Amino acid sequence: MTRRKFAVLSSAAVVGAYGGMKLQPAAKPAKLADGPPGSSAVAIIRARSYSDDLVSRMLDGIRQCGLDVRGKRVLLKPNLVEFDPATVINTNAAVIAAAYEVFERLGAAEVKIGEGPGHRRDTLDMASDARYRAAIPKFETLFTDLNRDDVSPVPNFAGEREFYFPNTVLGADLIVSLAKMKTHHWAGATLSMKNFFGVVPGSVYGWPKNKLHYYGIPESIVALNRQFGRKAFAIVDGVVGMEGNGPIQGTPKPAGVLVMGSDLVAVDSTCCRVMGIDPEKVGYLRMAADLGHVRSGRIEQRGETIASVRTNFALIDDFKDLRLT
Amino acid sequence: MGLYLDSRLEFLRATQNSDGGWGYFPGKGSWLEPTAYAMLAIHGRDIAVCDRAWKLVGSWQRPDGSFQPSGEVKDGTWVTALAVTLASIRGGGVRDEDDARVRAAVDWLLRVVGAEHNLWTRTGSFLHLIKARLDVSHEGWPWRDGNASWIEPTAHTLVALKKVADWYRPAEVADRIRDGEDLILSRRCTDGGWNYGTPNMLYVDLPSYPETTALALLGLVGRSAREFPGALDYAERSRAETKSSLGKAWLQIALRLHGRNPAASAEIAWTSTDVMLAALEALGHPQGNYGLFRSGGRA
Repeated sequence: MTRRKFAVLSSAAVVGAYGGMKLQPAAKPAKLADGPPGSSAVAIIRARSYSDDLVSRMLDGIRQCGLDVRGKRVLLKPNLVEFDPATVINTNAAVIAAAYEVFERLGAAEVKIGEGPGHRRDTLDMASDARYRAAIPKFETLFTDLNRDDVSPVPNFAGEREFYFPNTVLGADLIVSLAKMKTHHWAGATLSMKNFFGVVPGSVYGWPKNKLHYYGIPESIVALNRQFGRKAFAIVDGVVGMEGNGPIQGTPKPAGVLVMGSDLVAVDSTCCRVMGIDPEKVGYLRMAADLGHVRSGRIEQRGETIASVRTNFALIDDFKDLRLT
Repeated sequence: MGLYLDSRLEFLRATQNSDGGWGYFPGKGSWLEPTAYAMLAIHGRDIAVCDRAWKLVGSWQRPDGSFQPSGEVKDGTWVTALAVTLASIRGGGVRDEDDARVRAAVDWLLRVVGAEHNLWTRTGSFLHLIKARLDVSHEGWPWRDGNASWIEPTAHTLVALKKVADWYRPAEVADRIRDGEDLILSRRCTDGGWNYGTPNMLYVDLPSYPETTALALLGLVGRSAREFPGALDYAERSRAETKSSLGKAWLQIALRLHGRNPAASAEIAWTSTDVMLAALEALGHPQGNYGLFRSGGRA
């Protein structure tokens, strides 16, 4: 084991502050899996500002991805992390409000919003601070704090015989990961797949959800997507993302896009390319390559091309080698 | 008592579930955490309500002595500390029926340590290979057995152990209390407060949070404020500035426990649906039961 690897693993074992890793190095597949048969559609839609007509843009992207939500119980899962409306840590309220309107218009049986932040417990006040209450009518009746929802067990998850998930999540027909496009100082990037950490209930696993750190961040991301990915859709808020020491202490990085699709592996791989990150070098995407498509040749890019919107996000030293060449 | 306290206590009475417990929100299933805070808030004001709740909490003790966080979740967790605190306040160590229950729970708490306190990470720390400014020499307590220690479970366990310190395994309890307090002191952020337990990561100082600052101070009740200079002033400023209702509520409690007298909140009626917050706000009122977090048994 190299000194650097020991340092990283030791740090992770200690803390898992905003992340972490398990003690053993992740077993990276030698060869990138081909993924499921066929290809996946991913739409890149331009949105230069949160005051743009996001509803029309989302409708356009969803139509291009062929998603049918009629009669489905939809759960919108934003990335709500921290009190600080001046930063770009959280999914922007305008994106959530637009998604709510879009899925109502498309005929969903119901549309709810739920989130379980990883290290702050005051979810409702944080939602107010992030202007979610102001932007979304009747927010209080739509929102569930997933950290404090009632739970039910799911067998054989993350090395546990029974793992508990919020009933709101288990009861949804479609979970829409409304993630933020950010770099992440443990995982490389946090996008629609990592956003599923917020469905793990703090009332059972604590703040932060340390069980996931000990199981391994890449392993947990993949396990959560194995569990929920088949009933998921992603809309990644890259209008203004975060670069550098994300997911909290980085700096704003306008990318001017919404990225969406039903194959979350393909969506995150596309986001990485937009950010100037090679998805084939991102540990959790490599591990998830049997769930969805990482290779660009298996992703049908709709809307904008990657080349037309690519903007390199600054990377911390530990992840310099992820840069897409 | 006034509108503020009355309305919160009335909300709690009105939202008690038929099984005796409280959910995090009205109409939801019962969980130990909101039940514990509701019981503390109501303690001494309505014996029947608390007795019904305690009967439910008692049914959640597991064979290994730990308590599970709800009827659904079949694992013992940090809420064991809350159960010990409740039992002690109700007379654990005095009432026979609760005595064995408390002993088993304390045995579990004394067995559990933060997983970072192992040879691997201590060696890494000694060799300066850990990319964080963090003292891993203390044991502390995790949310769940097998995970790292954090401020909140450590603080609640300190409250619980201080309540049994004079009558059960006193030497071991005293050792763990001292070490747990030292863990909290070692994890103070450079801004003067505490976050959930990591003041520094990748050599970057991390900010504190109001609720975890309050919980750290809760765990340090009994230690001289000279050992955490400026922390109470910081907590008072944080209480004035934070937008977190939960943070304000915990800070109100912590500051009173440390002899500060923060101004009472305005006499406004309760309008939220958050059961835990209602209980904590009631506890932190000048006429609330915040003193139940102090060491010592039956109040």
